[in-house]
Amino acid sequence: MQAKGFGVLRPLHGLPFVVGMAVLLGLLPVLHSRGSEPHRMARMAATPPSHIYPKSVEAPIEEITSAPPASPDVHPGAKHPANHSFDGHGKKRKIFPVLDVDYTHVRLPFEIALWILLACLMKLGFHVIPTISGIVPESCLLIVVGLLVGGLIKAVGEDPPILQSNIFFLFLLPPIILDAGYFLPLRQFTENLGTILIFAVVGTLWNAFFVGALLYAVCQIGATGLSHIGLLANLLFGSIISAVDPVAVLAVFEEIHINELLHILVFGESLLNDAVTVVLYHLFDEYATFDKITFTDIILGFLSFFVVSLGGVFVGVVYGIIAAFTSRFTSHIRVIEPLFVFLYSYMAYLSAELFHLSGIMALIAAGVVMRPYVEANISHKSHTTIKYFLKMWSSVSETLIFIFLGVSTVAGQHRWEWTFVISTLIFCLIARVLGVLGLTWFINKFRIVKLTPKDQFIIAYGGLRGAIAFSLGYLIEKKHFDMREMFLTAIITVIFFTVFVQGMTIRPLVDLLAVKKKQETKRSINEEIHTQFLDHLLTGIEDICGHYGHHHWKDKLNRFNKKYIKKCLIAGERSKEPQLIAFYHKMEMKQAIELVESGGMGKIPSAVSTVSMQNINPKTLPVERILPALSKDKEEEIRKILRNNLQKTRQRLRSYNRHTLVADPYEEAWNQMLLRRQKARQLEQKINNYLTVPAHKIDSPTMSRARIGSDPLAYDPKPDSENLPIITIDPASPQSPESADLVSEALKGMSRLPPSPEEDEDEEGLVMRTKEPSSPGTDDVFTPGASDSPSNQRMMRCLSDPGPRPEPEEGEPFIPKGK
Amino acid sequence: MGSRASTLLRDEEIEEIKKETGFSHSQITRLYSRFTSLDKGENGTLSREDFQRIPELAINPLGDRIINAFFPEGEDQVNFRGFMRTLAHFRPIEDNEKSKDQNGPEPLNSRSNKLHFAFRLYDLDKDDKISREELLQVLRMMVGVNISDEQLGSIADRTIQEADQDGDSAISFTEFVKVLEKVDVEQKMSIRFLH
Repeated sequence: MQAKGFGVLRPLHGLPFVVGMAVLLGLLPVLHSRGSEPHRMARMAATPPSHIYPKSVEAPIEEITSAPPASPDVHPGAKHPANHSFDGHGKKRKIFPVLDVDYTHVRLPFEIALWILLACLMKLGFHVIPTISGIVPESCLLIVVGLLVGGLIKAVGEDPPILQSNIFFLFLLPPIILDAGYFLPLRQFTENLGTILIFAVVGTLWNAFFVGALLYAVCQIGATGLSHIGLLANLLFGSIISAVDPVAVLAVFEEIHINELLHILVFGESLLNDAVTVVLYHLFDEYATFDKITFTDIILGFLSFFVVSLGGVFVGVVYGIIAAFTSRFTSHIRVIEPLFVFLYSYMAYLSAELFHLSGIMALIAAGVVMRPYVEANISHKSHTTIKYFLKMWSSVSETLIFIFLGVSTVAGQHRWEWTFVISTLIFCLIARVLGVLGLTWFINKFRIVKLTPKDQFIIAYGGLRGAIAFSLGYLIEKKHFDMREMFLTAIITVIFFTVFVQGMTIRPLVDLLAVKKKQETKRSINEEIHTQFLDHLLTGIEDICGHYGHHHWKDKLNRFNKKYIKKCLIAGERSKEPQLIAFYHKMEMKQAIELVESGGMGKIPSAVSTVSMQNINPKTLPVERILPALSKDKEEEIRKILRNNLQKTRQRLRSYNRHTLVADPYEEAWNQMLLRRQKARQLEQKINNYLTVPAHKIDSPTMSRARIGSDPLAYDPKPDSENLPIITIDPASPQSPESADLVSEALKGMSRLPPSPEEDEDEEGLVMRTKEPSSPGTDDVFTPGASDSPSNQRMMRCLSDPGPRPEPEEGEPFIPKGK
Repeated sequence: MGSRASTLLRDEEIEEIKKETGFSHSQITRLYSRFTSLDKGENGTLSREDFQRIPELAINPLGDRIINAFFPEGEDQVNFRGFMRTLAHFRPIEDNEKSKDQNGPEPLNSRSNKLHFAFRLYDLDKDDKISREELLQVLRMMVGVNISDEQLGSIADRTIQEADQDGDSAISFTEFVKVLEKVDVEQKMSIRFLH
């Protein structure tokens, strides 16, 4: 608790101070006109229209005002006397306002930025103090912060802001949902779609009507004094309170690392029940204005459920396809690629909301549809950007939502009715438990992997309510439902109960019940291959049995996708790339990046160049052809020059690398590097396959993505290293005339090969640089008998094996140093 | 359809199949009607050609392998019993089966039997190892023809490297089980047979 106080206090200190600063700013002109305050800032404000000073004077003031802790003595003292001399003069007439204050002008963005900053600082604070975040979920802490901030604002005498429904639905919710939709684990989602839909649709309907009806019954009991609340109002309330909230579920479930099945069941339900909630809400809201509800109204309401949900999905799919199609053409303007993803998704959400369709469904559908195609089209960097932006936005939104929940609790008007609140809470819990038990009993008849009682418990217990319910409650019109305050109070109580009590106890319960946890491992290539294998196998078995099940339709869809859709939506060669190959590239890419980060890669260019130099390095071609004609002395001289240059290249490489990801082993002390080399060699062996994979045509998109993914600077020295014939000093053959002959022989044989490195070297650097020199080599090795793979493999391996080679090559440039 | 087909099956036969495979009575009759509709020769057995006539199977990249899995070694006919025995591998694992006595023979649809079935599809030469060659063949079937041999080769190498624990450059059944231990095989290798 102490620690918590610390985390909370820091930003809280800032808040009143900023408010104070705003007030102070407002006072400044007044102070000046009276001339009573010899405050430095006031005096500076009084500075007459000096043409020399304004800018330089203003700057420090801004510094002082915007950075509260900065004391006045930060201000450069040199200007002070100068200002002083003008002082008396300025009083006579209306002076030009050197420093003017217009808070209203910046108020809105200023306050928004302040809130976001507060949210971020809070999040930061919680992660600085690990002890509490281990016990209490972040969402609870944030609500507490919200409560405190709200209380503080109220104490100062201001009106704390309330979580406005349209701000919530239009700005705060979409990022979270898009993040969820874009990174939805599709396979698990589709495999469990039936279960999820039943929970989301039937479960939510059951909850709404159960809670609504029972509450109506409670209200009818005379003693409670709530008999004026009609059935319709209760049902409306029931529909608001019954929906499991995706934001709350995400916040809690991400922290407890539960297994994927349970996660997707609860989370999927919370996403898909949106349509039900929206329909029920509008239904009862509309009915409230009718005098009499006819049977047709009910039928229409039922119909509108399909319109809302399927319409939302349709809108999402359309935008998703457009987004995928757009991303096909963005290869020239990579920087705005991520924006297309965000904008189209947001448009999907807004368009759906425009027609009162389910915006959440639209957003999910858009994210799911566009992702595979967009990912194939955009650059690696853009992909990272999308990932980070989504994560950033969603986590800030989530933080803000919880803080505002707290603030709104303080701000709103409340009407506390014990009976109503308590019965709501109890009915909600009962409805949830009964609903889950009943539905799983039904669902388990059809599931291959049954839901165990433990699973059922977690699903029931994970039914957290959250800000969506609050915002919907806030939207109720007082005109039709005069018990709005009471509803809001009950909603907030339920939210707090689920988030605090259930959210805090779910983790110990998960441990206690030994519920299977998520296994944090990357998918291996084996799993990928065998999973695909099993998919085909099961499709085949289903076909033999003559029944069209899950696998059959999935296979149909895959074929259709491969045959038509991919061609339209994915640019270039990648559209023909089988999933397995794409996966392989992605994995190799990831590994290469890891390797670079771990420092192994820095060595590899040289390692590969030893290999590739034998095979080919087209640019060095002329140099080598001349070489044999030179005399021994000349050659020695050249070698010396080259050696020096080579060293320079190395040095330059080092300095470039300092600003990039590539950790450079040359930077390290020599013996350390020797140690490292051992390690790096093992790593090389691992990625050796990758480096020697030729087939330019096929992996060129991947390569170009990789290249963009790399920092251009890292490989800038490449031209040098190409022109400098590292090759000629090939230590493998010190008697260079002969070796050069050999090399040039090899080169002659190879000159028919396309000089691919230059071609591909268009834009920026090359993580894959290493790969390019090597690939022509392997091409060469392979051209004779490409069909006979095992022997090739061996040959390729022994040719490209960098094992013993790099030592002398690397040693060379350092020889002078040793002397 | 179902009732007509069931008349051709004797009750004791159904009982035996039930015991061996764990399928329910209705599932057996249903699959028997499928079996007879596939059996164009109407001789109570299925040949490879009968299987190949299934249009979807013809475009399945692993179609031939799957068909072969139905035939015991050296035979080119499979009767209903054998047909059911193969299909039994894909029956979901029921709750009550998990707790069943362990002393009986392992049911065909156990996790390890499912895995072994898949493994045998890879392992053509039946040496209980997936060699690089065998893996390459499967990869080639799955990715199609427009991928170069080198690329596939490097994928195969990598796959073996990743799974190989005893350093024999091949994947043994133990290693196969190990790499798939995180995969929900019970679910991925199960089909909901209609009742």
